[in-house]
Amino acid sequence: MAEVQLQGLFKNYKGAARPAVQDVSFTVQDGEFMVLLGPSGCGKSTTLRMIAGLESISDGQLVIGGRVVNEVAAKDRDIAMVFQSYALYPHMTVADNLSFGLRRRKIDEAQIAARVKSAASILGLGELLERKPFALSGGQRQRVALGRAIVREPQVFLFDEPLSNLDAALRVATRNELVRLHHRLGATMVYVTHDQVEAMTMGQRICVMNGGQVAQIGRPLDVYKAPADVFVAQFLGNPPMNILAAQLQAAGGEAQALTGDGAVLPLRRWRDRLAGMRAVKLGMRPEELSIESPDTAGPALLRGVVAAVEPLGAETLVNVMLDGNAGEVIARLHRDADAALGQRVSVYVPEAALYLFDAATGKAIEAP
Amino acid sequence: MNALPSAINPASVGLTTRRATELLTGWLRQGGLMAVVVLYTLFAALPFGWIATMSVRTTSEISARHFAWPEQWHWEKFRIAWVDSNFAQYFWNSALVVVSAVAIVTLLGAAAAHCLARYNFRGNRLVYFILFSSIVFPPQIILISLFQVLVEYDLYNSRLGLTLVYVSLQLPMTVYLLESFFARIPQDLFDAAKIDGYSDFEIFWRIVLPVGMPAIATTIILNFIQLWNEFLFAVVLLSDQDKRTLPIGIRAYMGDYFQDIGMIATGMMIAVIPVVILYAFFSEKLIQGMTAGAVK
Repeated sequence: MAEVQLQGLFKNYKGAARPAVQDVSFTVQDGEFMVLLGPSGCGKSTTLRMIAGLESISDGQLVIGGRVVNEVAAKDRDIAMVFQSYALYPHMTVADNLSFGLRRRKIDEAQIAARVKSAASILGLGELLERKPFALSGGQRQRVALGRAIVREPQVFLFDEPLSNLDAALRVATRNELVRLHHRLGATMVYVTHDQVEAMTMGQRICVMNGGQVAQIGRPLDVYKAPADVFVAQFLGNPPMNILAAQLQAAGGEAQALTGDGAVLPLRRWRDRLAGMRAVKLGMRPEELSIESPDTAGPALLRGVVAAVEPLGAETLVNVMLDGNAGEVIARLHRDADAALGQRVSVYVPEAALYLFDAATGKAIEAP
Repeated sequence: MNALPSAINPASVGLTTRRATELLTGWLRQGGLMAVVVLYTLFAALPFGWIATMSVRTTSEISARHFAWPEQWHWEKFRIAWVDSNFAQYFWNSALVVVSAVAIVTLLGAAAAHCLARYNFRGNRLVYFILFSSIVFPPQIILISLFQVLVEYDLYNSRLGLTLVYVSLQLPMTVYLLESFFARIPQDLFDAAKIDGYSDFEIFWRIVLPVGMPAIATTIILNFIQLWNEFLFAVVLLSDQDKRTLPIGIRAYMGDYFQDIGMIATGMMIAVIPVVILYAFFSEKLIQGMTAGAVK
């Protein structure tokens, strides 16, 4: 087991306008499950491949287990990687796939057999050992790919979107299996995904990446509750956080946000933090909103027309087009919520549920 | 008056006629397909069968009646060809030259194809283009210069020389075929093997070759058949009788005024046997290679 330290990592590709990975620094603690989360092209896979040694490091330092490994070949970094495509050797049986890496390391046959057997029993592969990959289902292939990493007993496990080729039900099951596996092995794991649900449920910490840079690092709920910027706020959460442009005004010494539809929302929590600012972005999670219908008067309410109603069973999503082209907000309500297409409604946002972001930079403005 | 039996209602009549039409068209379609296959098989197999029967008939018998079934099976003609007409030597020469050429072409071609498919080096596409463009030219245009080169390097009239020429003739097509197949092997496989601790060469040997086997088998068969039947370069580049390959050996039965059709047929049957065996052995792989794509 080992700690993985990334210190100002850069990846420049020849001919690219900007680095694919830009000044990425974080430390994965010994035994920690760290998730790299972000949209495609955000540099998360490149970062993982740099940790694996499959991509060269343009600048910065990578330390695994106290050793700088920038120039160390992938095979000597004592890592194992699970690929999105599983990357099983198609011409070998499951048993050979599992032992291929061990054979190269000149581990004696008895030891190999023992490790393969133990991995096979952890993952329920016992019956499949003599089969070839083409004769396995997607889930089974996935488990073989996992097994290939486990038998190596590496210091660090790397996962590159290993669940994205599985169907929905299997994905949930495998997610739980991976968490149990991490618990059982206590190994350091770095897991790349674009799926926020995977990140929230599996990661002890998540590192949200955007445009080749780290946007925020923290425990999943902390990041969810206090996103560092608009990107993180919208990337985590489904449906994403509603963002509205608003003007600031002062009334009686207190700041207020004036939205395009004419609502006036008090911003008492921020006190003097907003001094000198004229415009902000307002954020609100869909689950914090409530809808009052018919249209109720009152300044602290957003107003608009219901543009879509999506009953999901447990809950209903209501899409409200705000007056004055102020944008639209999605509210996540109880399934019995009373909302009909075309109905005029008021949307109530408790002040405690408001997020503020700088209008220009998108950075969060924290309440003191 | 009750002429129409009540059991038959018009709807069911419609249904049965429709089903009958379906059956008929289905049968016709299948029959048509079958007819095409049978015709093509006859087209390909009849000349072969004709040569096969001629191989056990004497030339005078053949001259008398061209298409007759052998009245007497002259198996001794095979012995005559093999022993008296030196076919044993020709066969050995052919086998030596072709097997070594195919082996070299396969290994070199696969290695080159792997390089071109997997490594981004300066001039990668240029090398590929030059190789590919050499497929376009007819090989005859290099014959004279090649003759000069072989004489220069003391390789004229040697089996080694012919082997090298065969390698150079077949290499471009082999690289071209294998490159397109190897390029479709997912990069993840290489990355996984790299992490598993294998060097570039070991990855080529233990991953690329086995995974690419269907394509490699295809090139082996195509190259083998092509070279086994090759006549032009062999006749120009070899002069000694004891270095001749089978196609030239067969040519020896053709004089200026007389062609020993019967012995030519016998020689051809001897020559064709290895090809049939090789094809039987590799044909499944060949089909796999031609319908490839399922690397995952």
